[in-house]
Amino acid sequence: MAIETANSSSSSPEAGSLEGTGKKPGYRDHGSYAPLITVASVLTLLALWQLGAILLPPNVFAGPLSVSLALIEEMQTVELWQDMGKTLQRIALAFLLAMTLSLFFGFSMAMSRTAGLFFRVWVVLGLTLPSLVIILTIYMTVGLNETAAVLGAALPIVPILAINIREGVSSIDLGLRDMAVAFRASRAQIIRDVIAPQIAPVLLASSRFGVGLVWKMVLFVELLGRSDGIGYKIEFYYQLFNMRLVLAYALSFLFVMLLIEIAIFGVLERKAFRWRRVRG
Amino acid sequence: MASIELTNIVRDFPEAQGRGRWRAIDDVSFKVETGEIVGILGPSGCGKSTLLNIVAGLDEGYGGRCLIDGVPVSEAFEKGFRVAYVFQQSRLLPWKTVRQNIEFVLKAAGRRQSTWQERIDAILRMVELSDFADFFPAQLSGGMQQRASIARAFAIEPDILLLDEPFSALDELTARRLRQSLLEIWREFRTTILFVSHNAMESTFLGDRVMIMGQGPGGRIREKISLAHLSRPRTYDDVGLFDASREVITAMQQYVDDLK
Repeated sequence: MAIETANSSSSSPEAGSLEGTGKKPGYRDHGSYAPLITVASVLTLLALWQLGAILLPPNVFAGPLSVSLALIEEMQTVELWQDMGKTLQRIALAFLLAMTLSLFFGFSMAMSRTAGLFFRVWVVLGLTLPSLVIILTIYMTVGLNETAAVLGAALPIVPILAINIREGVSSIDLGLRDMAVAFRASRAQIIRDVIAPQIAPVLLASSRFGVGLVWKMVLFVELLGRSDGIGYKIEFYYQLFNMRLVLAYALSFLFVMLLIEIAIFGVLERKAFRWRRVRG
Repeated sequence: MASIELTNIVRDFPEAQGRGRWRAIDDVSFKVETGEIVGILGPSGCGKSTLLNIVAGLDEGYGGRCLIDGVPVSEAFEKGFRVAYVFQQSRLLPWKTVRQNIEFVLKAAGRRQSTWQERIDAILRMVELSDFADFFPAQLSGGMQQRASIARAFAIEPDILLLDEPFSALDELTARRLRQSLLEIWREFRTTILFVSHNAMESTFLGDRVMIMGQGPGGRIREKISLAHLSRPRTYDDVGLFDASREVITAMQQYVDDLK
């Protein structure tokens, strides 16, 4: 633990004192065997999946091995990659749109009382309106096209993300800002060194959450009104009662989302928020 | 270094509910001479932190006059006077190391970058944090964080240092060590210090003078007690200090309802 290193090399009289060592007695440190717990968790999930496959007929619920083999087979075709590309493109566009709108609503609600009151009704309405109704309305008004698909995937999640961002921005520590003002820090210094670092975790968490939500919505809009993409394929194979391929396509995208989570969000978090993990 | 002069300071705040206003500070006047340490002692809610905010230039909605070396506060900062603040909580930026936190205020104070390293090393030596310059605040104990916050304040070599109950969140042993450190550094710089506290012993230990404010709202200075007869450096077991703190407590009891 960092604090123990601190104490051992200390010349300061109170460094070794009772206060603030930050370690709770009786709290077990899972650090050393955390990877083992993750492996055990994945294996348990696979076992439960396999158990389901044994109990149910194969055309209703295929097992992990059978689905994996189907996925490997599909990976040899161009189709899977084309559909995946299409879905990823929709996710990216819908995510950008949803985040832009949510940032606008979230920030204005957090920073202005009037905006907060004004948009509150919209947000509550947006939260209660079923996504299905929003998507169908957009398809009917805009048409069965790409614009409608992106809008349909983005709009239902805006209220959820906006609330998240509003909460995050409202919880900014004003004491730190006052400190900076008292020391006569410039406006640029305050924004860069005091406000931005507090908002960054909120933005990262909202982005993470947003990508997860958008992907589920994109699948939904593809299923309802598109003739390509992973969502369409899932619907297509469902019509053919081919559950093996339904699960194989779902699994293919699950890997993509895991990759985004680990390669983008995980790396960003480690790089930007080193200070949050120092407590050890 | 600079003097502080407050004349007929009045501060009203709008009420949380309704359209009325309530008076936090009512006609407060006093002067802190250059290099002096003066304490404002009073119960919670008497308006003592508001007074510090006025001197710091954080609160501009007051009536009366606040001068730093004869210059109104708002102009004083433009003329290059520097004020440093030590808060009850350290208010270190958690995403910056101790060194970076000090660099932040050195930059704000417009100190030349070529002098930063030397200043930081010197001040961290004084607060015994040399080994912790590259630690993040979360890696330090509460006492060490407050040491870092004191280092940050002195690093800019302020004309005025304001302390808002800086040791009240610490255990008494740690607080005692920090008060001593503060006075040791003060002896080097002779900065003008205005602090607020609700601790009679602390005020007596630190101050050249102590001013007692009555219960708020409408806080006023009720009594000014000189501690000039207590020589420095002071020690906690000094009988004179103990007697003086008793005098301060007695004075407080007259004006604070809760203590009557």
